[in-house]
Amino acid sequence: MTVLTEIESDLERALRVLEPLTPYAEVMAESTGGLRLRLDRESRAATPSPALEGAAFRAWSNDMWLETVASGLTSRTLAGAAEALADRLRSAPRGGRPPGEPATGSGERSTVEQRREEDFSLDERIAWAKERFDWATAVPGVTNAFVLVQSIQDDRLFRSTAGARAYQRFHRMVGQVLCLAIENGKVETDYVGEGRTGGVEVLDLIDRPRVEQAARDAVALLSATSPPAGRMHVILDPSTTGTFAHESFGHGTEADQILRDRSYLKPLLGTMVGPEELTIVDNGAYDGGWGQIYFDDEGTPAQRTVLVDRGRFVEVLHDRETAAALGRQPTGNARRADFLSRSFVRMTNTYVEPGDWSLDELVREAKDGVLLEHFKNGIEDPLGGNMQLKVAKGRRIVDGELRDILPSMALSGRVLEFLPAIRGISKPADFWISPGFCGKGHTDLIVNGSGGPYLLSEAVVGPA
Amino acid sequence: MTAAPSAAFTAYRVGDRLRPRTEAPWEVFGERMRRYEVHLNGRRVELVRGPIHLEGFGLRLFRAEGGEMRVGFAASNDLSDAGIDAALAAAGSAGRLSRFPARRVDLPSSVAAHALPVENRDPALWDRPVETLDAFREALLAPFDARKDEVPSFGSLRVTLTETTLTNSEGIQRAYAHTLCDLELAVKATGGPEGAAPGEYWVNARQRRLESRGLGARVDAWCRRAQDVRRTKAPATGATTVVLPPTVLADILPAILGYRFSGAAELRKMSFPSGARVGSEAVSISDDGRFPFGPGTAPFDDEGIPQARTPLLAKGTVSGSLDDLLYAAALGHTTTGNGRRDSLAFSPWSHFELAPSPQPTTLVVAPGSGGSDAELAEAVQEGLWVDQLGYAFPDPASSAFGGEIRVAYRIHRGKIAEPVRGGTLGGVVLAPPGEPSLLADARAIGGSSELTGSLASPPWIIDRMAVAGG
Repeated sequence: MTVLTEIESDLERALRVLEPLTPYAEVMAESTGGLRLRLDRESRAATPSPALEGAAFRAWSNDMWLETVASGLTSRTLAGAAEALADRLRSAPRGGRPPGEPATGSGERSTVEQRREEDFSLDERIAWAKERFDWATAVPGVTNAFVLVQSIQDDRLFRSTAGARAYQRFHRMVGQVLCLAIENGKVETDYVGEGRTGGVEVLDLIDRPRVEQAARDAVALLSATSPPAGRMHVILDPSTTGTFAHESFGHGTEADQILRDRSYLKPLLGTMVGPEELTIVDNGAYDGGWGQIYFDDEGTPAQRTVLVDRGRFVEVLHDRETAAALGRQPTGNARRADFLSRSFVRMTNTYVEPGDWSLDELVREAKDGVLLEHFKNGIEDPLGGNMQLKVAKGRRIVDGELRDILPSMALSGRVLEFLPAIRGISKPADFWISPGFCGKGHTDLIVNGSGGPYLLSEAVVGPA
Repeated sequence: MTAAPSAAFTAYRVGDRLRPRTEAPWEVFGERMRRYEVHLNGRRVELVRGPIHLEGFGLRLFRAEGGEMRVGFAASNDLSDAGIDAALAAAGSAGRLSRFPARRVDLPSSVAAHALPVENRDPALWDRPVETLDAFREALLAPFDARKDEVPSFGSLRVTLTETTLTNSEGIQRAYAHTLCDLELAVKATGGPEGAAPGEYWVNARQRRLESRGLGARVDAWCRRAQDVRRTKAPATGATTVVLPPTVLADILPAILGYRFSGAAELRKMSFPSGARVGSEAVSISDDGRFPFGPGTAPFDDEGIPQARTPLLAKGTVSGSLDDLLYAAALGHTTTGNGRRDSLAFSPWSHFELAPSPQPTTLVVAPGSGGSDAELAEAVQEGLWVDQLGYAFPDPASSAFGGEIRVAYRIHRGKIAEPVRGGTLGGVVLAPPGEPSLLADARAIGGSSELTGSLASPPWIIDRMAVAGG
């Protein structure tokens, strides 16, 4: 990986080419690396992450942003991308200033790895993965297990003609065990997975009890009955609560959608939208969260932004442009998936803050319904205000008790009907942030954390 | 190369560097890309991106040892000598840790079957990308000028021009040029009866060409659906007969059948054997790597094997599977030319970062006897015509799928009736005999096909689909 500070003079030189042609220009240079090890009963593959390096240049031209991208970080490729952008600036109308105020600060931050990856040998990784494979496949009925251990290194350096300089180095670690049970052509799976910003210590979270539980549940799903369908009480587990926060409030509070008049939340700012127990936060500064960043890709420091404060919708997420349009300050949410992708207002770690119920109390309160566990996906509907969440499994709730296991299900419904129906949120001990990837539309996938504790509400659920 | 290549052939340059430095069999896949994007905010262009240059390679080293194959893969966009050497070293290290149950792999040689040309490139876009993209943007937005109640609220047009090259230690050299166009557009509808909330229809399309012809009619259809969304009711709960058009099936079938009908699934005992009955007689499906303008269409796959047509399901009976070189070797098969560096989950626009695996190209469902759309509705009598799910969330392992019904229409007395939205629809694509599944419960297939994403199919009538409504 290129050490980004060693090419800083090339970045400065490139910005100087642009400076006379635009009121503002910036560059985000990126270098990535890491290693992915994946094994199952049949094969084992160790794959270094693609060594991708490059830089995105952005400049304001009259009434819009223009961008070019360099593949590679040599003096030649950087100068070439800057010159291509300069050509476009020269041929475009002059005048106008970019919206909002640019970041001007300077900083350097790196992930603290409690146990450094460089001390985690390749043989140790294989041993870690084999041990989880053995735990899973020792459970009767489990035919195979896919084990993944992956490190991700992502270094970014932001410079602008306004003087901002933000250098950040992320290290993320992922561990996952997918347990497979097959019978008569029917295939069922369950998994345990964690991903956090940090070092090898993250892998300690994939312990034997969790792997064995996932293995037992994969087998149990082979004979599970179809889930109930229709409107019912639902308890979301922490990972699903996080997806709810992400899909319901996260996308709708990205302020560019509000400026596009494409958010069902726009007329609700300042109003009560849920019970007083409900607080939803986006927090790029959440230490260890999968979506943790130190600066956004406009150079603004990451921060904790309360979106829903005790039931009241109080704030949205901003980049410099939306903050200026709505008279607010940037919240550190301008993010690029990578140097090849544009900057958008995006979430970081989005979560529901804990309440004071226990899971047992929530189950008794629900009386009948389903517990939704292990989120798999979600999708937003920022204008229509609907949401859909899919989970890998669940439990039937009958007479205030958790009963038999249920196969994958989807929840759908209107957010503004789901919120008032919230009847309880569990305690801090249940709180957890899960790793995920989020697109804006169907593209531009970025790392996002989402989390919370258990949450009881009401929604439409069906097989999926 | 079906278009004028640039002076530099990415894979060949890397191959020249590798040849004297490694004795193990090797392969290099290279891509040199230019990408241009226009991002919309309403009718206004808010961001123009490009040229976005990306040039990179993925290399594999193969070493047979102890009855297994050790395959090392590394990818990089650093084409300097030092960058290529670093990738070679990384692939060597990775290979030592990897193992795959194939005794040997036969890389295609320069005398291997010749690949015939295919249609996978928009010539105008290739020659004049900025002008062609601008012209398409204007053609796309023009129909909205006359509309006061429907606007594009969010969207982007992204085009990628790629020179793909491949070489290996057997001396093969292959190259072709292709284009890829991604359109995302949210159409917002307002107006009409006071108090009705705005509606939105989401368009997401990947094609080989920027096709302006018929755009006005397509925009009309999108706007109509965006308006329909505003006057929907939730569906009823229960087992329902539904019609799934290719726009819905394209999110389900390639991801699930592409895996479960592959060597990767067979090796892990997750596939059904050839001759097994898994679907109704109405269903016949092939994979066609040469389908005109299919997103997966190419003269050869990402290992240098000519792409072809492979039958997967004939009248409901398993008739074939998809293989790449490694899985074919492990299973005693012959590769079907489906060694592809792709991900149906993420639809990447560059592929050199990924190692090949058996993947579908374009799934082609044979037209059936169900007739026109009107005849399909007539055959259903009472049910749902599902136009769009929020997302179908296909699970390749379990074959489960399901999601929120974003736009559907009730079929009442054999006619398309009022719009429906909300609730979920789901099930599994494959199930043991006697259990409900999308393939087993396919009662009829329509008579005319449409290419949507990686699927060319008519609409299907499915009985017993689980719908959870209000």
